[in-house]
Amino acid sequence: MSPAESGKPRPDLGDAVAAPYWEAARRGELALPRCDACGLVFAYPRRFCPGCWCGERTWQTMGGGGRLWSFTEVHVAFYDDTWAGDVPYVVAVVELDEGPRLLANLIDSDPARLRIGARVRVTFVDRDENLTLPAFKLAP
Amino acid sequence: MSVLDDIAVVGVAETEIGKLPGRSAIQLQAEAAVAAVADAGLAKADIDAVFSFSGYSQAMMLHAARVAEYLGLRPELAVVTDVGGPGTHHAALLNAAAAIDAGMCTAALCAYGENGISIRRAGRGRAPGTLTGGEDFEAPYGQIAMITGYALFAQRHMHLYGTTSEQLGAVAVASRHHASLNDNAHKRHPITLADHQASPMISSPLRRLDCSLISDAGGAFVVTSVDRARALGRPFARVLGYGAAVTHHIPSQAPDLDSLGGPTAAARAFERAGLRGADADAVYIHDACTFSVVAGVEALGLCGPGEGGPYAASGALGLGSAHPVNLHGGMLSHGHAGGVFHLLDAVRQLRGAAGRRQVEGAEVAVVHGNGGVFSAFSTMVLGREDP
Repeated sequence: MSPAESGKPRPDLGDAVAAPYWEAARRGELALPRCDACGLVFAYPRRFCPGCWCGERTWQTMGGGGRLWSFTEVHVAFYDDTWAGDVPYVVAVVELDEGPRLLANLIDSDPARLRIGARVRVTFVDRDENLTLPAFKLAP
Repeated sequence: MSVLDDIAVVGVAETEIGKLPGRSAIQLQAEAAVAAVADAGLAKADIDAVFSFSGYSQAMMLHAARVAEYLGLRPELAVVTDVGGPGTHHAALLNAAAAIDAGMCTAALCAYGENGISIRRAGRGRAPGTLTGGEDFEAPYGQIAMITGYALFAQRHMHLYGTTSEQLGAVAVASRHHASLNDNAHKRHPITLADHQASPMISSPLRRLDCSLISDAGGAFVVTSVDRARALGRPFARVLGYGAAVTHHIPSQAPDLDSLGGPTAAARAFERAGLRGADADAVYIHDACTFSVVAGVEALGLCGPGEGGPYAASGALGLGSAHPVNLHGGMLSHGHAGGVFHLLDAVRQLRGAAGRRQVEGAEVAVVHGNGGVFSAFSTMVLGREDP
């Protein structure tokens, strides 16, 4: 399905600061910036380290593991029918083993088995020909 | 001495609330504005500043100038404040206080309102995703509504503290009871805990009756100096203390529940007022969802951290308790227009003008809550003052 057809919100792939994040996702890797000054690994990518305002960073591939910080099973397609084919879907906040928290979908996991603190692993979903989104699933 | 010490809210008004087709947002704002100025005992010619916000359902550029023009005003100041939640209105008070102190105005009109229902039906509502933020890193995953963000925190509170859906339901039931005492509330038909439990899941663990309403409605208030307020010859509300705290914008960037800004904002406000939460005769908490009230009573120190669920279920929220919460019915049952109605009803309580839901002899009211998803907290302590 083309971006226009899906109608779902898309990140700005032309944002130079975040581009390595989306390029890594295309390769099936979860990468985040690590501040060259204070060592903070941070999400989402942004121009300055939110810890110390250093502008230099090195991209680092994450291990892909983390724990479920919280989650919600969304039962309603809000505003219009853009998400009607997806409900119910799970929005989760995952705390990566490296520290940062990411919001993403939790997929291929039995909602009845979801518990805060559960181990999860990153996986990737192709939204369309240009965009791959990180997602998570319960660790086996 | 703070410029806020000299600030009084002297007039409040709200429009009808509900589904009001044919009444544009600016019309609703103007209706509330004209009524609030009359309620203050002032006239059009007295208003020399406008503070406003259009609400999020149809955000408007230069909104305060739009309100001024629509009402035929040519003020020195027309300023939009958008902190989110009660902070939007508290920031209007803060700005008005500074402007009065600077000699730039003497009586400020603060006007809010939106036609949240009808604008969507007309297909002209604001595009989804632009409200919640996180366009790049949250919205692509379907994190497009405020309520899903709140659900993440409610779920975590349940996990950490054992809070239950039934306890959240107690908030909904109490709000609806208060709304049943308010002839202008959008939803006045009483509900039971069973109704809450039977309402459909929206974003787990939040059900439909955990969610605030979407309304067509307007609300406005008038701010002036304490001396001017005294000259108007009626009881008014005076600012006793104000505090705020901003920790993040989007849910993935939030600190954990024990470090959200609510307790910090409340502590700052109470310290400046020389009071504490337990001094409040009437409590107003920005109830985007039932869980917001659970978090709010904890933040205000009415119960301990994590104890908001049992506190709500104990009946402590209702009229007749020591610190009743959202006596107008809140956004859960009364109406939702940028959260302005909490402040309006706090002022009514302090003026003894709250009708069947009046707390007898109310001297201190607190308005507390957040914009965003627990992002920008704001707490204002108001006191009754007689002329």
